[in-house]
Amino acid sequence: MMVRAERSRWQAFGQGFVAHGFTMYPVLLLLVIVGAVVAPRFLSTINLINILEQVSVLGLTTIGLSFVVLIGRLDLSLEGIVGFAPMLAAVLMASASAGGYGVELPGWAGLLVALGSAGLIGFFNGFMVVRVGLNPFISTLGLLVLLRGSILIISNGRSIYSPGAALTYLGSAKIAGLPVSVLVFLAVAVLVGCIFQYHRYGRALYAIGRNEEAARAAGIDVDRVIWSAFVFAGLLAGLAGVLMTGRLDSAVTTQGEGIIFSAFAAAVIGGVSLGGGKGNIIGVVSGVLLIGVINNLLTLAQVPSFYVQASTGAVIIVAAVLTTLASRRSSGVKTRT
Amino acid sequence: MVVEPKAPIVEMRQITKTFGSTRALRGVDFTVLPGEIHALLGRNGAGKSTLVSCLSGIVAADSGRVRIGQADIIANGESYAAALRDEIAHVQQTPRLFDLLTVAENLFLENPAVRRRGWVSHRQMIARAAQVLETWGIEISPTALAGQLGAGTRQLLEIIKALNRGVPVMILDEPTAALSNAEKRVLFDHVRALKAQGVSFVYISHHLDEVFEIADTVTILRDGQTVTERAAVSSLDVETIADLMMGQKTQRSVREDFTDASAPPLLEARGLRLGKGTVDFQVRKGEIVALAGPVGSGKEDLAMILAGHKAPLGGRVFSPSGKLPVIGLVPTDRHASGYVGLLGVRENVTLGGLDLLSGGLGFIDRGREAAHVGDLARRTNVIAASLEQPVGQLSGGNQQKVVFARALCRDPQVIVALSPTRGVDVGAKEQLYGLLRDLAAKGMGVVVVSDEEDEISQLANRVVIVFEEEIVGELVGDYSMKDLILRMEGVA
Ligand SMILES: Nc1ncnc2c1ncn2[C@@H]1O[C@H](COP(=O)(O)OP(=O)(O)OP(=O)(O)O)[C@@H](O)[C@H]1O
Ligand SMILES: [Mg+2]
Repeated sequence: MMVRAERSRWQAFGQGFVAHGFTMYPVLLLLVIVGAVVAPRFLSTINLINILEQVSVLGLTTIGLSFVVLIGRLDLSLEGIVGFAPMLAAVLMASASAGGYGVELPGWAGLLVALGSAGLIGFFNGFMVVRVGLNPFISTLGLLVLLRGSILIISNGRSIYSPGAALTYLGSAKIAGLPVSVLVFLAVAVLVGCIFQYHRYGRALYAIGRNEEAARAAGIDVDRVIWSAFVFAGLLAGLAGVLMTGRLDSAVTTQGEGIIFSAFAAAVIGGVSLGGGKGNIIGVVSGVLLIGVINNLLTLAQVPSFYVQASTGAVIIVAAVLTTLASRRSSGVKTRT
Repeated sequence: MVVEPKAPIVEMRQITKTFGSTRALRGVDFTVLPGEIHALLGRNGAGKSTLVSCLSGIVAADSGRVRIGQADIIANGESYAAALRDEIAHVQQTPRLFDLLTVAENLFLENPAVRRRGWVSHRQMIARAAQVLETWGIEISPTALAGQLGAGTRQLLEIIKALNRGVPVMILDEPTAALSNAEKRVLFDHVRALKAQGVSFVYISHHLDEVFEIADTVTILRDGQTVTERAAVSSLDVETIADLMMGQKTQRSVREDFTDASAPPLLEARGLRLGKGTVDFQVRKGEIVALAGPVGSGKEDLAMILAGHKAPLGGRVFSPSGKLPVIGLVPTDRHASGYVGLLGVRENVTLGGLDLLSGGLGFIDRGREAAHVGDLARRTNVIAASLEQPVGQLSGGNQQKVVFARALCRDPQVIVALSPTRGVDVGAKEQLYGLLRDLAAKGMGVVVVSDEEDEISQLANRVVIVFEEEIVGELVGDYSMKDLILRMEGVA
C-alpha cells in the first residue's frame, strides 16, 4: 500500500514536471556540466552572458512563433520580418551617403517604423488566414520569400551600418554588465508566460488550439484571437530583428536567414506541439537555451565549423525525440478525444 | 423433447479496469446469448462504456477473462483487440468518422468487399454505398464528405459501417442519443432483422422506453459492479430499472410556469428567414420554450440564430430593451463543439465565462474561478476524479453536464440548449431540469430544442412547432402529453 502511494506520488511529480515544461532542464544542466569539463572557459560569466545575448533574438522569435503554433497555425514569414523590419527602419534613418533614402527619420521614429511594420505584416498574415481563408503554411511561405526579396529591393542589396543609436540601443547597450537585449528577452518571456497561463487570452489560445469549434460555441471570438496571434507573432519577430540589428550595429541584408528553422526546433524541443494547444513558455525558453548552449559548446570545443551545423541538427533530433518520449510516457492513460 | 439451453456467445468473467485513481470496473461478469439483445444500463460513470470497450478490446482489461465465440482471452492489461477483430463490432459513444473522407469511403474503409488484389475499386464502392444508403432510407450522396453531415446521419453511418462487417456480436453504445424518432425506427428495424439472423447485440441507452421496445435481457451496473445480472425485460418496469440504476428513488418532476408576461421579451426575432418562409419568435423572462419538429425542419438553425452563432438569410434578432442579453449555448454535438477534450473540467467551464471571471487587465481571478466552477459543477452534478481531470476522460453523460455548466458560466439571461440532456442518466436529467426551472424562476429565459416528448412536457411552458423552416403551430400553458404527441407527429 505504502509503496503504491509512493510510486503514484512520483508519477504525479513526473507528470507535473513534463506538463509544466521542465523536461529539458535536466538535459540542459547535464550539458552545462559537460561544457564545464571539456571547455573551462564555458562557465565564465562573460561566456554565459554571451550565450544569453546570442539566444535573445532566437528567443523572441520563438515566443512569437509559439503564439501561432499554440492555435494550431504557423508563421514562416517571421524570418522575413526579422530582416525586413529593421532594414526598413534603417533605410529611412540613414543618410543618403550611408545607403539610406535621405529621409533621415529621428531614431525613435525608426524604432516605431520597425515595430509598426512588423505588426502590420502580422496583421496582413492574420487577414489572409482569417478572412481570405488561406492555409497559413502557403500564405506565410509566400510572404517570407516576398520579404526576403523586398529587403534586397529597399536596401539596394547593401547592408546599412550604424543606422542610429535609438534603433541599436536595445541590442547593444548594457545595464550593470547585463545586455539590455537579455533583459528584454527575459521580460517578454515572463510577461508572455503569465499571459499564456493566467490571462483569458491564453486560455482562449489553448482552447482554440485543441478544439476550435468548442471554443467558438463557448462564446470566444475565435477569429479575433487568431488574427491577433499573428499580430503578436509579427511584433515579437520585429523586436527580435531590432535586437539583432543593434548587436551587429547594422541592418544586414541576410539578417535572420534560417532563424525560423531554429525557432521551430526550439519550440518542439521545449514541448510545444505543432498540432496546437500544447506547450508553454518555460518549455520554449528551455528549447532556446538548449540550442544556444549547444552552438556555444561546439564553437568552444573548436569543432570545425563545417561540423557545427550538422551536429546542431543531430542534437535537435535527439532532443525532440526525448521531449516526445517524455510527454508520451507522462500522459500515461490515453485520453479519449 | 428437451430444449437445449443455447451456449453463450459472449462470456466476461471478473473483469477489472482501473484508470489512474478511478476503479471503473471491479470484477464484472457479463454474458450474452446468440441472437439476444442485451441492454446494459447504469447511471453516468457506472462503467458501461468501459465494460463494452473491454469486450471489443478498444480498452484492454486489467484482469479477468473475455470469450467471444472461439476467441478466448485472459486479460492482463495488454491489448487484445486484434484477436477479436472478426468476432465483434463496436459503435462507440464518441463518433469516429473521418470528416475529410466521403460517405462511401467511410463506409467501406478496410472492407475487403471493395478490394481487388489489394486495389480499391472506387466505382464499385460508390455503387455499393448508394445501395446501402437506399436500404436505410438515407437521402445523401455517397460522395458527400462525412464532415458536412448532421449528427443523426453521422451516427447512422457509424452504425451502418459496423453492421456491414457481418460479425456475430455488435455493441451499440447510446446509438439513439443523436437520432430522431424516424431514424430510430429505421435502426430498430435493421437491428431486429439481424437478430432474426442470430446476431447478438449489447445495447446501451439512457432511454429506458427503448429498452422495453427492443431488448430481451437487462444487466445493470453501478459504480463498476453488477447490481442486476441477466434479468428478463418482462420482469421489470421503468421505475424499477431507474431505481436500480441510481441506487435510490427518482422522482419525475413536472413543469412549472414562471413566465413573466408583463415584462418585455428578453429576446425577439422578427422576419427571420431560415429558408422559404419567415419566422417571428420571442422569449420572455422566466419562460421555458421548446422548439420541436422533425429533422431538417430548421429548429436547430433557428436556435443557433437566436444564440447568435449563425447568421439568418434575412430578418433580425434583437432585444426590446436595446442591448442583447447574455446568451449561453449548449450545442447539439458535444464531441464537435461542446468541450475541449484535453483540457480539464475547470478550464472547460471557464471558457464559457472568461470575461466574467477575469479582472480589469484580463487576468483570470483564480480564486473566483475555483469557487464559481466548483459551484456550477455541483449544480450540474458533474462526476469527475477532480476538476482538473481532462473532459475527454469523463463518461459521456458527465461530458454533457460539463457542456451545460459551461453554458451557465457567464450567468446568462437566456440559455439556448440543443438536446441538452443527451446521454444524461434519468437521475441527473431530473437534476438538470430542476436547475433550469430554478433559473427560470429567477428570470432567465430558456429555449430548448428537443426530440423527446417527455423532456418537452416536463420542461416547456410553450412548445413551438417548426416545420419546413416555418413555425406552424404552438402549444401554450396547460397542454397534455396527448396534444403534444399529436402535434409532433402531425408534422413528422
Ligand atoms: N480514459 C480514461 N481515463 C480516466 N478515466 C476514465 C477513462 N475512461 C473512463 N474513465 C472513468 O471511468 C468511469 C466509467 O466511465 P464510463 O465511460 O465507462 O461510464 P458510462 O457508464 O459509459 O457512463 P455514461 O452513461 O455517462 O456514458 C468514469 O468515472 C470515467 O471518468
Ligand atoms: Mg458511456
